[in-house]
Amino acid sequence: MSTFTDRADAALADPLLKIAVERTAGTAEAKRAAAIAAFPDFEAARARAAAIKDHVIAHLGAYLEEFEANAVAAGACVHWASTADEACRIVVEICKTAGARTVARSKSMLGEEIGLPHALAEAGIRRIETDLAEHIIQLADERPSHIIWPAMHKTREEVSALFKARHRSPHEEETIAAMAESARRELRMQMLGADVGISGANFLVADTGAVCTVTNEGNAELSLVPPRVHIVTAGIEKIVPSMEHAVHMLRMLARSATGAALTQYTTFYAGPKRPGDRDGPEEMHIVLVDNGRTKMREEGLADMLRCIRCGACMNHCVVFRQIGGHAYGGTYPGPMGSVLTPALDGLKQSRDLPNACTLNGKCQEVCPVRIPLPTLLRGWRERSWREGLEPASTRAGLGLWAWVACRPALYRVATGVAMRAMRLLSRGGWIARLPLAGGWTRYRDMPKPAPRSFMAQYRKERRG
Amino acid sequence: MSAREAMLARLRGAHPDKAEADALLVAPDRRAVDEGALETEFLARIALPSVSATHDIIERLDELPVAVGRYLEQQGEPLTLCLPPDPRLSACDWSGFTLRESAAPEETAALAIARKGIAETGSLIFETSPHAPMLPNFLALHHIVLLAAGDIAPWLEDALLPGPQPRAHYWVTGVSGTTDIEGTYVRGAHGPRFLHVILLR
Amino acid sequence: MKQRVALFVTCLVDLMRPRIGFAAIQALEAAGREVVVPEGQTCCGQPALNTGDRGHAEALAKQTIAALEPYEAVVLPSGSCAGTICCHYPELFEHDPEWLPRAQAVAGRTFEIMAYLDEVCGWRPDSVSLSASATYHDNCSGLRELGIKAQPRRLLKAIDGLSLTQLPGEETCCGFGGTFCVKYPAISNAIVGEKAEAIEATGADLLLAGDLGCLMNMAGKLHRAGSKVRAYHAIELIAGMGDGPAIGEEA
Repeated sequence: MSTFTDRADAALADPLLKIAVERTAGTAEAKRAAAIAAFPDFEAARARAAAIKDHVIAHLGAYLEEFEANAVAAGACVHWASTADEACRIVVEICKTAGARTVARSKSMLGEEIGLPHALAEAGIRRIETDLAEHIIQLADERPSHIIWPAMHKTREEVSALFKARHRSPHEEETIAAMAESARRELRMQMLGADVGISGANFLVADTGAVCTVTNEGNAELSLVPPRVHIVTAGIEKIVPSMEHAVHMLRMLARSATGAALTQYTTFYAGPKRPGDRDGPEEMHIVLVDNGRTKMREEGLADMLRCIRCGACMNHCVVFRQIGGHAYGGTYPGPMGSVLTPALDGLKQSRDLPNACTLNGKCQEVCPVRIPLPTLLRGWRERSWREGLEPASTRAGLGLWAWVACRPALYRVATGVAMRAMRLLSRGGWIARLPLAGGWTRYRDMPKPAPRSFMAQYRKERRG
Repeated sequence: MSAREAMLARLRGAHPDKAEADALLVAPDRRAVDEGALETEFLARIALPSVSATHDIIERLDELPVAVGRYLEQQGEPLTLCLPPDPRLSACDWSGFTLRESAAPEETAALAIARKGIAETGSLIFETSPHAPMLPNFLALHHIVLLAAGDIAPWLEDALLPGPQPRAHYWVTGVSGTTDIEGTYVRGAHGPRFLHVILLR
Repeated sequence: MKQRVALFVTCLVDLMRPRIGFAAIQALEAAGREVVVPEGQTCCGQPALNTGDRGHAEALAKQTIAALEPYEAVVLPSGSCAGTICCHYPELFEHDPEWLPRAQAVAGRTFEIMAYLDEVCGWRPDSVSLSASATYHDNCSGLRELGIKAQPRRLLKAIDGLSLTQLPGEETCCGFGGTFCVKYPAISNAIVGEKAEAIEATGADLLLAGDLGCLMNMAGKLHRAGSKVRAYHAIELIAGMGDGPAIGEEA
């Protein structure tokens, strides 16, 4: 398997990727800023959103039971899955029982997290991704690179080539509108013919048992209303106490994600088709997925369970903007992904993620639920250090520095020697190549250190 | 132990205090809306690019077919309409129209009655019922919505229904759109490309 | 009686650019303060803290707290080091009943130099003049941990002859990130490369900031790219030392 650094290097070497990421994330950043400026008091709204989620996470068990009881009363079947595999097994089993050959899927990051596309393929069930970006990803046989814009890494030229190769009656005009129209033609009949519709959930409303999805394309509704069976896979942290609480979270979600006041389509589904209804599924199944969430709650990552998957942290992350989402290697990229991936996939294989961050704090500043992402990333760094996962060179270098810095008298002598040695490598005030700091001087020059430290000069001056 | 028991065992804790949850809803953070000018606020909101709906105004319900016909003609579309089996609509005179009860895969236009309009966002609020199927409103190219001016309410909280919920409760705040290719906005991704509100005063 | 303040110069200023420390003393004295430089200071422990080496982070925090706690005020010419003391020391000792109150007490009396001069002293460099154009980069820790934004600009605007040009993306990280820039040099380079282009595009003569780490990163990139932009810590200009050698220039 490739390393994070290899993937990041490949991403940095791809000029198209940079353009594609910049186009979408740059637009999202500007639109969010405008939306927040037009909102009366976004800081107070963030505090409220964080408080709502904290309240839910503190009482998660009771709220899940309340949700379950109300969903069942509305006619839905509720399933519980501790692990990703268990969740996939449940979904596949429901599909098989329904005799399903094709499923229409409305974009869900939880589905990606549990590996549902793969599980459906293994079971021989045809999957139709209906979100435009997921459709692009499916045609390209790739993974999402962003949680809101999964095909963010693709330029229009790449999408055009893909559609021309794969659509039955592709676009002729080279415009984004014509490409979207081509996908509309391609997907419509497929959606209407699916046996099962699968979605995630943006919110699970405890006091009504309803599942909320939001989309701008309307693909959730088109994927979930026509089929006989609707399956929801949702992380257990998606609970909100009531519809009113959902309203507040929806105000935060759309503004943070796309800068809109609300998504175009917001739907609350409560159970299957009722007597006399003209449309709607005959069965509704809700799979409540843990997959490490209870453990995160117990092990200092409860704040992360506030996350509403808006993507603002990655849109505003200097590292994400340079390397895009695939380099992160997990289901979730960017700052939120760098906190989640070690919890989901293990710290050993993902220790780079919490380290590959400048801790500049922008992600926390834009997070609609005030997740202290830099603090959580520091927490992973600490654990990685404690468990001996950090490279020996880092441990030795930093350990030596800190050990010396704890001994001020020795520190003055040792740093004096080191700075004099560094000065020997300089020319005209700058050092162009510095051993042990090749990462710095490969790309930039290092100013020459002072001939005498501040402390030495100051002492001499005061004495003198 | 079942997954349910295992998960709940790890999540055991105090039962949530209703008062604590309610306290989180006091004085909601939301856009200011002039409650004395709801219609103006609503119409301004739906005209924004993010919603991009057009509108017409009628004084009596029996003017509805003429208003729908006017809109479809302006759009250069035939007088074909997917009409839900709602007695309020069936009572109108639809002569000259080709009516359909369920939507074809490529339906031109669907008419629906919104229960509420929300001034805060320009949202139209719908629920499913035997008189109100959902699919036509997502399949049609033109989503035409009848809204009584008196049903415009200030905020999203006003859209909520107390008690047991209908099968689907949904808010439409614009046309089907996507920014999935290079962040560029395109209308009519999968569903309606046009949204037309007919306001009944 | 003059109020006494302790200056914590920070390890980078101590070793790389002492004149920032002397500029700090000059400005503080001009603002009517008596400056003391506590002997026991070395590094605040930020590199250890950000690398996950909690043991050394705590040891250095304790050493720093002990060195600084005798003073009624502590001033640092670095937003990130001041942020470490103000925000992270109390977090480090959250569960330590002995050290938490000591950490909180020092945190409560610690200031970034420009915030101290502006907000606590209400001082302006009224007698300073420098004919130049400059652009200012907000270093992330100072901006987001301590709310330093208007203070340096208020001080710089009082310098006669200095014109400030806004830097597009002034709040965007420069890609330094402490050890980040050597652990992930290629990513850091891509970030600082864009920053250097933005700085160059302002046409300003000088790049100013409040943190030497970020300044060395940006100045080093600008120099490698052949730029003529000269970099200073803002306090050097504020103290009237803007006519001396810039970062990387021979004295």
